[in-house]
Amino acid sequence: MKGPWSSASIRVQLTGWYAIVLSLMLVAYAAATFFAVRQEFGEQLDDQLHDDFESAEGFLTPTPDGRVAMSGDRHHDPDNDEDRGSDVWSPNGEQIGRSGASAALPPVALATAGAQARYESIAAGGRPWRTLTGTTLVSGRSVVLRVARSEERLREQLSEVLKVLALGLPVVIALAGLGGYVLARRALAPIDHLAVEARRVTAERLHERVSVPNQHDEIGRLAAVINDAFARLESSFDKLRRFTADASHELRTPLAVIRGIGEAGLVETRTPAEYKEAIGSMLEEIDRLTTLVDTLLRLSHGDAGSVHLALEPLDLGQLTREAAASLAVLAEERRQRISIEAAERITVVADGLVLREAMTNVIDNAIKYSPVGATIAVAVCADGERAVVEVADQGPGIAAEHRERIFDRFFRVDTARSRDAGGTGLGLAIAKWAVEINGGSIRVDSAATGGSVFRISLPRGMA
Amino acid sequence: MRVLIVEDERKLAQALASALKGEHYDVVVASTGEDGFFRANAEAFDLVILDVMLPGRSGLEILQTLRQRHIDTPVLILTARDGVDDRVLGLDLGADDYLVKPFALPELLARIRALLRRGRPSEAFRLKAADLEMDLVGRRAVRGERLLDLTAREFELLEYLLRHQGHLVSREMLAREVWKEPRRATPLDNVIDVQMTRLRKKVDVDAADRLIHTVRGVGFVLREGEP
Repeated sequence: MKGPWSSASIRVQLTGWYAIVLSLMLVAYAAATFFAVRQEFGEQLDDQLHDDFESAEGFLTPTPDGRVAMSGDRHHDPDNDEDRGSDVWSPNGEQIGRSGASAALPPVALATAGAQARYESIAAGGRPWRTLTGTTLVSGRSVVLRVARSEERLREQLSEVLKVLALGLPVVIALAGLGGYVLARRALAPIDHLAVEARRVTAERLHERVSVPNQHDEIGRLAAVINDAFARLESSFDKLRRFTADASHELRTPLAVIRGIGEAGLVETRTPAEYKEAIGSMLEEIDRLTTLVDTLLRLSHGDAGSVHLALEPLDLGQLTREAAASLAVLAEERRQRISIEAAERITVVADGLVLREAMTNVIDNAIKYSPVGATIAVAVCADGERAVVEVADQGPGIAAEHRERIFDRFFRVDTARSRDAGGTGLGLAIAKWAVEINGGSIRVDSAATGGSVFRISLPRGMA
Repeated sequence: MRVLIVEDERKLAQALASALKGEHYDVVVASTGEDGFFRANAEAFDLVILDVMLPGRSGLEILQTLRQRHIDTPVLILTARDGVDDRVLGLDLGADDYLVKPFALPELLARIRALLRRGRPSEAFRLKAADLEMDLVGRRAVRGERLLDLTAREFELLEYLLRHQGHLVSREMLAREVWKEPRRATPLDNVIDVQMTRLRKKVDVDAADRLIHTVRGVGFVLREGEP
């Protein structure tokens, strides 16, 4: 489900949400203000009525005809006031005195006129009134006094307030929305900028980076993340480029040799022995080429994750001993010693054949690069939840800057080293591949002996 | 022994035919699936070498039809490197063996010998070539009057060479049959070469004629006289 704004820009969405939230808050605020004002005005009116009542009480004087006169108020002329009035009623419901605008009012409902003074809002003569009714004594005689004030002014004031609020609210909301839009635009401008910069970085210009204005704010962190992604992309592009270049070099070399031998063989007639020699030499190159292609194919299958592993619990020490034993003659030829220290019962769940291939390649590497008469120290031990195999050689060691790339396909520390001595250049790549598809990791460090130590780490499994 | 080769790749078919003729087989080449099926159906062969990837009628179809018609001639199929499924399917359909292209010729010849020998187990307990003799039961090997002091691996290696005497043996075959490694790898190739050098020293040292020969680019052969 897509929201109604899913196609709008974040800027518009932000502004919209901002305006909605702000409107709701303002409306609520305006309503609260209005009701507070109305309450306040009502209370003021009631206070005035109360004052009116008390002053009217003071002015009540009995007349000889049994009625009540209301006189002596110096502050206003009751007979000319259309907004105020008061009247006096006898307990039996007869109006016995009045002043001001009270003529418009209905008779006092005596039944409801108790001892307690009572406020009432009534409509009379087409106008709203507020009244206060109560009993009082005039010369010892109990009468009902009612004072009244028109509510019209109060209503006018309230509607004035309402008008101000109603007119002001849209303006304020519009201004707020505009402000929100400007704010959102300012806040998001660096992102647009970032997008423009990021778009500039293409496969051909992967070395470029987006600028990081302030690495501590959110945009800065985003820019840093994008740069990080570019860096990784660049490094894998470089890797791929290097691999393609190396692979074509490694594949072309045997092809060039085959071609050269073939062409040279055809130029002049040679003895059968020489022809045999030439053909054999070509076959050697073909063999090398076949191995190379097979290995690359396996590695690429591994890349695509389409390798079926025959997983089983394996004794890592046993496996390592087997791998070392299979290469023992190579070490013997170089009068080297392979010492194996393996802890008991270290089990991993892995594909034995594949894992042994990793061991074989790493140990073979150690034999190849250690000098004649050296000792190759192999240790199998547990490190918490990991099972670790360490192969330490006495070779020349690997410079720190090469350690990452030593497992790359075709990478050779010494590029001058000939193909014959260096093998296919895929041994350690195969080892890394074989370890990793079994859920492990491999790395290389400097050994205390001055050479390198290859460390294969695998998750320990249940026996 | 009549062998039918069904292979559309002309150069490969020719190379196979010439190699098999060199081994004194009677060879017929069919270059299409139709032709191959027709011949396999109509004529009697001791062995069929069948390429799986054929234009027209696929090798697997031919195999299936042959087996449905109860023609039980041993069939060796040739599959492409990635055709793992072809291989499994081929064996399910009644192929007797398979080889993955590109394969080494000695390997193919060894497979053919094995297929043609099938049903007739070699009950040899003693193997012999010139003055070299191996007693498989007593685990002894003698060259002339000299008892050879062989390691277990060297003994197996010599036994394998002797069983295939006169025939080329590739490193791939040695890796699989003697070292029991399903996959060939560079370290193993080096190990094989070293073992072979040691074995040759023990077998051929002080002897008038050498028995173990290296054939460059192909492998090794144990043979009397010229390599």
